Amino acid sequence: MDATPVILILVVTLAIYGLAYVFYGKKILEKKVARASPDRVTPAFEKFDGIDYVPANKYVLYGHHFASIAGAGPIVGPALAMVWGWGLPLIWVLFGNIFIGAVHDYLAIMASVRHGGVSIMSISENLMGRKAKYIFLAYVWFALVLVLAAFFSVASSTFVGTPTAATISVLFMPIALFFGLLVYRTGLSVKKGTVVALILLILAFFYSLNVPLHLTYEAWVVVLSLYSIVAAALPVWYLLQPRDYINAYLLWAFVALAIIGALFSFNYTFTGPIYTSFAGPGTLIGALAGTSTGRASIAYFWPTVPLVIACGALSGFHSVVGSGTTSKQLSSELDAMLVGYGGMLTEGAVSSLAVITPIALAWNFAALASATGLPVSEALLKAGINTTATPIITGLGGVDRFTVGYGLEQAVAWSRIFGPAVFESTFLTFRTFAAWALTGFVLTTLDTSNRLARFAWRELFDWLKPRNELAYKVITNRWVASVISVILGAIMAYPKIEVYIPELNKTTVVYAYSIVWPAFAGTNQLLAALALLTAALWAYAIQKVRGGTSLLIMIPALFLWITVTAGLIWWLYAVVPGLPPLYQIGAGTVVAISVVLDFLLIGLFVTGLRRARS
Amino acid sequence: MKAREALGLIITILSLLIFAYEILYVGLTTGRIGVKGDVTNDAILISAGFLLIILGPALWLGEVPTNLKKLVEAKTGRKLS
Repeated sequence: MDATPVILILVVTLAIYGLAYVFYGKKILEKKVARASPDRVTPAFEKFDGIDYVPANKYVLYGHHFASIAGAGPIVGPALAMVWGWGLPLIWVLFGNIFIGAVHDYLAIMASVRHGGVSIMSISENLMGRKAKYIFLAYVWFALVLVLAAFFSVASSTFVGTPTAATISVLFMPIALFFGLLVYRTGLSVKKGTVVALILLILAFFYSLNVPLHLTYEAWVVVLSLYSIVAAALPVWYLLQPRDYINAYLLWAFVALAIIGALFSFNYTFTGPIYTSFAGPGTLIGALAGTSTGRASIAYFWPTVPLVIACGALSGFHSVVGSGTTSKQLSSELDAMLVGYGGMLTEGAVSSLAVITPIALAWNFAALASATGLPVSEALLKAGINTTATPIITGLGGVDRFTVGYGLEQAVAWSRIFGPAVFESTFLTFRTFAAWALTGFVLTTLDTSNRLARFAWRELFDWLKPRNELAYKVITNRWVASVISVILGAIMAYPKIEVYIPELNKTTVVYAYSIVWPAFAGTNQLLAALALLTAALWAYAIQKVRGGTSLLIMIPALFLWITVTAGLIWWLYAVVPGLPPLYQIGAGTVVAISVVLDFLLIGLFVTGLRRARS
Repeated sequence: MKAREALGLIITILSLLIFAYEILYVGLTTGRIGVKGDVTNDAILISAGFLLIILGPALWLGEVPTNLKKLVEAKTGRKLS
């Protein structure tokens, strides 16, 4: 236990984010690197097609971008990283967020906007050659299919486990559609439409608390697959924009409540240690806990941290979103700062303020009870957690650490206002709310992933267009492209496979995708490193950025590449041998291929940099 | 009204009726929709309603909204069909 007051971390974190946005984001990246101008016509106008290229209000687009990039990663990753204490994960989230993640997201959007809204993978063609583009695109398309499989499975499991989350998700879609129709069809102002939608959403929230919706896992996979095909093929103004705009309110409420929770816990100190060890024991290395094995007996903070904490600090998936759906909807280049850099800082706030801070506060249940005088053990028992068997929060799985930490921080805060009598009920309510917020992040990521897979698929076949336009049109048709990715994702999410787990000495049943899923943490972060290197090269070669400003982007990009490459090699050496045989073949092969591609692409990057310098 | 729009209108009305029945009647009278571990008719019906309510209005009102068209035309100077 250490004596760091909650309020200190809150104030310092918010101040760092504010300063980073103004001084690094606006003054350096926007003015000196991208040289954003409101006078340039963006691809949303220039290539307007009413389906994917559609200009959006900057707050609507911020909602879309934020809701799409925030999968389960910013929540589960930091919760797992608490094995190193709360200090190192917090530092990594702040550093990674400001100097790597937000830069990567912003530059991916801006580079895409300047190249007609194409993906960062296609931009690499101009900088690193045609080979780089197709390697990059195939790699990303496969990763997106894997994301679809994992998220079909995670969302279905969540709906089976928390059926009230299924009810709110099903009710949420018609409300969002209704909002979109009110604004676009009746000409109602966004403000008035928002009020109507939020009232309906609150009613739906209370309804869902009392009416669970039950389906089986397999049935949910089918329903979500069909939803994903339909949602990804429809025009963005119809479903994606209004849904993500309204969804962002849920996510903002989630972050705002975390800040309120920290404010009302101002004089309490963290019950968890700032530092435990540089070598964390038994750390799960993967983007989603509980979905697969992938445990290292010892995980060194460096180089494994980017493999454990993804979206909260940086994630390659963001560059695909930024240069995929976001860049095609940007109304003005000036909006990219709020959407890209601001969106990533907000996601960092989810990790730092809604995950790390509550877990650090609630770490030691007995110490929290003693400091607050509240019935912590009794409340936890109602949630099925025995504090005698599990005295500290790290004894729980990643998702439970988050929901319990978040629920306890809220319960402590609201007990201050309404008295200790509300402690138990507020804990249980906010624990459910936290689970819902997690599902909200997952569902939006699901259909955005399919839309992005469709974009990557289309760019992957652009060589066919001049040779056989009809074949190109058929293959890249939006419905055909959507169906192909979803079928492959569902095939991996649906069947169960029996796998022998040596460490448990028993055979267990897993979903097929989980055989390769442990590799995703590494491949996703490798994508981040390569996308940031591409963006850095874009700034250097095309934008002619030189001197300290160039180094400010290039050094973190190289640092990330070295870290991720070392992490992948370490993963092959330390994690793969401990995996069940089938996982060794599946995940091990994917990581091995990734390492080969990694060196191939860094070679092309160096060639591109030399060319730019000469 | 075109055939596509008429179909969209029918799907929209059908999906609204399904939602009203499942949410307001089944949900409020039984306190749940579906049965744990089973695929019941109610669960199938609301899942179908969920998909149809997304698709129906898209077919019925699917054209690009006029105000969006005007915005693009004003910015680019080209006439959209």
